[in-house]
Amino acid sequence: MPHAVDSAVFLGVRHHSPACARLVGRAIETLRPAYVLVEGPADMNGRLYELLLGHRLPVAVFSHYRDEARVATSWTPLCEYSPEWIALREGSACGAEVRFIDLPAWHPAFAERADRNTNRYADAEARYAEATRRLCARFAVDSVDALWDGLFEVTDTGGPDDLDARLDAYFQLVRGDAEADAGDRAREEYMASWVRAAVARAEGRPVLVVTGGFHQPALRALSVPSARWDQDGPPDWPEVPAPPDGALGGSFLVPYSFRQLDAFAGYQSGMPSPRYYQQLWEGGPQAAAQGLLRSVAERLRARRIPVSTADLVAARGLAQGLALLRGHPYETRVDVLDGLAGALISDDLEQPLPWSGRGTLSAGTHPVVVEIVAACAGGTEGRLHPDTPLPPLVHDVAEQLARLGLAGADGPVALDLTDAAGLARSQVLHRLHVLGIPGFTRVSGPSDGADPVFTERWEPGPASGREAALIEAGAYGARLDEAASVVLGERAREAGTEAGALAGLLFDAVLCGVGPLCDELLDTLAAQVGQVSELGPLGEVLTAALGLWRHDRVFGVARGRLLGGVVAGATDRVFWLAEGLHGGPGVDLARLRALAAARDALLHAPDLLPITREAAAEAAARIGRDRRAPADLRGAAFGLRRALGVTDDPAAAVQTLASTATATLGDWLAGLFALAREEITAGATADGEPLIDVLDGLVSAMAEDDFLTGLPALRQAFAFFPPRERERIAERLLQRRGKRGSARSLLRTTADPLLLARARALEENVARVLDRHGLGAVR
Amino acid sequence: MTITEEQVQRPPAEVRYADELAVLRAADDDPRPPGWQLSLRAARRFVVGDEQAGVSRKFVGNVSLVERALVTLATNRGLMLVGEPGSAKSLLSELIAAAVSGSSALTVQGGAATTEDQIKYSWNYALLVSEGPSPRSLVPAPMLRGMAEGRIVRFEEITRCPLEVQDCLLSLLSDRVIAIPELDGPQGMVFARQGFNVIATANTRDRGVNEMSAALKRRFNFETVFPIPDFDTELALVEAEATALLRQSGVEAPPRRDVLEVLVGTFRELRGTAERGERMSTVMSTAEAVSVAHAVGVRGWFLRGEPGSAADVVASLAGTAAKDSPEDLVRLRRFLEQEVPRRKGSQWQALHDARHLLAD
Repeated sequence: MPHAVDSAVFLGVRHHSPACARLVGRAIETLRPAYVLVEGPADMNGRLYELLLGHRLPVAVFSHYRDEARVATSWTPLCEYSPEWIALREGSACGAEVRFIDLPAWHPAFAERADRNTNRYADAEARYAEATRRLCARFAVDSVDALWDGLFEVTDTGGPDDLDARLDAYFQLVRGDAEADAGDRAREEYMASWVRAAVARAEGRPVLVVTGGFHQPALRALSVPSARWDQDGPPDWPEVPAPPDGALGGSFLVPYSFRQLDAFAGYQSGMPSPRYYQQLWEGGPQAAAQGLLRSVAERLRARRIPVSTADLVAARGLAQGLALLRGHPYETRVDVLDGLAGALISDDLEQPLPWSGRGTLSAGTHPVVVEIVAACAGGTEGRLHPDTPLPPLVHDVAEQLARLGLAGADGPVALDLTDAAGLARSQVLHRLHVLGIPGFTRVSGPSDGADPVFTERWEPGPASGREAALIEAGAYGARLDEAASVVLGERAREAGTEAGALAGLLFDAVLCGVGPLCDELLDTLAAQVGQVSELGPLGEVLTAALGLWRHDRVFGVARGRLLGGVVAGATDRVFWLAEGLHGGPGVDLARLRALAAARDALLHAPDLLPITREAAAEAAARIGRDRRAPADLRGAAFGLRRALGVTDDPAAAVQTLASTATATLGDWLAGLFALAREEITAGATADGEPLIDVLDGLVSAMAEDDFLTGLPALRQAFAFFPPRERERIAERLLQRRGKRGSARSLLRTTADPLLLARARALEENVARVLDRHGLGAVR
Repeated sequence: MTITEEQVQRPPAEVRYADELAVLRAADDDPRPPGWQLSLRAARRFVVGDEQAGVSRKFVGNVSLVERALVTLATNRGLMLVGEPGSAKSLLSELIAAAVSGSSALTVQGGAATTEDQIKYSWNYALLVSEGPSPRSLVPAPMLRGMAEGRIVRFEEITRCPLEVQDCLLSLLSDRVIAIPELDGPQGMVFARQGFNVIATANTRDRGVNEMSAALKRRFNFETVFPIPDFDTELALVEAEATALLRQSGVEAPPRRDVLEVLVGTFRELRGTAERGERMSTVMSTAEAVSVAHAVGVRGWFLRGEPGSAADVVASLAGTAAKDSPEDLVRLRRFLEQEVPRRKGSQWQALHDARHLLAD
């Protein structure tokens, strides 16, 4: 029986597991297989030598794909302790033929994964969440990483055979109730066809198959040879699917880093704390635990966070105690981390310890925890061997620069953004800038969306390190626009909910013209804007975004999704923040502008918004009724309702207000006029007694003191009227009194200009004195 | 007249779970830290439960938290449990004390009026006057007893004590001895026996741990007890507790699960654990959710003869959420007005429709 499937040895591994890597190494040593088949993109098979050139790990196979309907990028990261890497290296070293046997990353089988920027080796745990949850409960551990470490990484029972058997049991168990989707089944079928072909060619010599444990049970079942072999001869190597016509795709090696691998730092990364596992691989569990303790202490001390010897003794003691309690022969990663947290943190935490779950650090994580996590990640960065073919981004950038005439620029470049060619060149330069690639520096140009500057000047800057930066940036994408949008997405996540940073980021995205390319960036920006906590700055973001969305003729973002999402998120958030805002007297123009921007969004972009006009009007009504809301905001809410077409009578509202709180009348009117000046003056006669008449009556009836107190705010309120409308108001006042005369003369001051100048000088003097004594802020 | 166990409103953990403790003790082969009644592993099983051994799960938080707490107690540092009110800190300390020492009774309740006497020892003044200072006239307080007997002492709400009173723990925790200068000879020094340690609790709302002296802080390992991370677990807990409470109150209809889902969802949202992250200044703990669920059931049953509805949730929430500050009422209203309509499900709809019940 020359083609027995028995000659295939299936090794299910967990990606990035040192224990599994060791197992693979041992299997190759003992089996001396003819073929080593590895889960990895099959389109790399012709170029596997590139991987073995002698890089400094970690590196990744970066795959990209683009057609009319779909853009996809993916990484296959390899570090020293990756089972796949050991299979490649040791397999080649012992003379076996090594093959990647999985579908290429662009294949539709991967399309069902939610994210475009995925890591091929990151998905495993998500699939069998339910099974691992039960296991975690059974073994009384908090996370699957802790479970894995305790079961497989840090053990001293049995030998490799025992580990192998336990891994088999584990993966059978977790696969047992996980549903393989259509994509998985397609990949498994394809991988199995490679196994069958290899078994047929091996003629009885062993074939080692290294895949994710999730696939292993299915592969074993699918790889049973068909009975037709003896007649037809052994099957050929399966064909590597080629991208459809018109699509662009490919795979390249790029440098990778522990920071990118660390599951605490980025989503879709492979595993937490790569530095620990590197040490586990190199020196075993005891050395790794000690190394972890040492690196955390060094990092904290370098950051001037006190770590006493007593603390370290306590941390070590706790870790050892936890290892005993949890039944670990030596301290695992989580034991050490728990010990450190217990001994070093003397505060209440806002966020749970990140290693008690999975995922990235959340805002509010204790600073010591942040440093501990960073120390576990390590700063190792991969470097490609100089002979490695360059990533596609390098060629793309060179081609674009040459096409746009920017390649050999040695003098300043002036660009007219209203010209299509100028805009295209500007976008390329901005994308390079966003990627942090040296070479050009912008010296002038528009600073935000409302800036009426349409020319830019760039000067050729330092070019050193340009090539290296480009190769590294190659990890973000195959094309410049794609890479820039990935970087912007990362920056958006890091920017948090700070309005200023988000506004800058948004404008960068506009300048780069990456809008329609990157769903993830759009979603992140919209989500972050929806979390901004200050009404004023949020209003500025909304105003700028809405302005560009409605009127842009330069950057090509009008009516685009990039700004549409931001407008929707920001408008929603304006109402959330405005309702429930309490405060004292005074007019805050920034928040009035925020409401005005929300009004414009409701009037001019209603289809974008999750909030309806009716809901907005209701929210405004609640704000208007809230006695503890600032008066200007209440007035603005009233104005908003008018602008939305709800005809409440402002005269009645003013009268109630005047009878209860005269002092805030001016604030209220300022809010009203900021939002609905035109609606109020245009509709003034339709509401029974016009608002101006009511106000005139109220102001005339004010006592001297009240009038003087209220005057500044009233003046401010009427400052929203342009001179011509003010003149009309003056006319009306004259009519009311049955007088004739020039309304314009009423608007002119009758005071002696010299007196005014002296008053002004006096005020300035007082201000200077206050400033000199440090009381300026009180003003 | 002695009262029987049934008449006690809430027997201590070592009485409530006496059977489980006995089972665990009998089957416990693992090494025990000196002075402990159970091994670390058995103590962990007592707290987090073990279905196969018939031990119930009593604390639903992270297992690793319990493990760190137990290991800490086996070292020479005290354990400080911090967290929002109602996050089961006291329950956890009671359970651990019962497991480790077989008794959770040695408790100091911290407060503004706590004095050193109530922590270390005081005197029976009649005896003191007639006999002079002697072991007979000494009245030991929990710390002294805990040290002399080698048991865990619980110090509840330690941050509510004046700072100088807190600091009397310093020498006690580092030197592990209490000097009684009034007594002569060996009786004047009480050395801590193996098994003695301190579990302190502090909540983050009243007076945080920031004011504690650094010297005292470093004698404790801090553990933050978080709200229950998982929706289903919290829902199950609220359902079980509320059902039991309602039965005690004579309500025959069990709470409706869909109403409880809305209730727990609202609490999680207002606690700031959900995506919108709007945090109330009032405590929105699981314990509070249970008491609202209780109130909801009582309203529904005694007012209308049916289980509580979403409208009852709104009415009861007003009292819980607006307890401390009117700002919270605004947050609650905004949540009901703007966020709830986005949720799908008939009970969320009912919650939105009942928003007018939130009085101004």
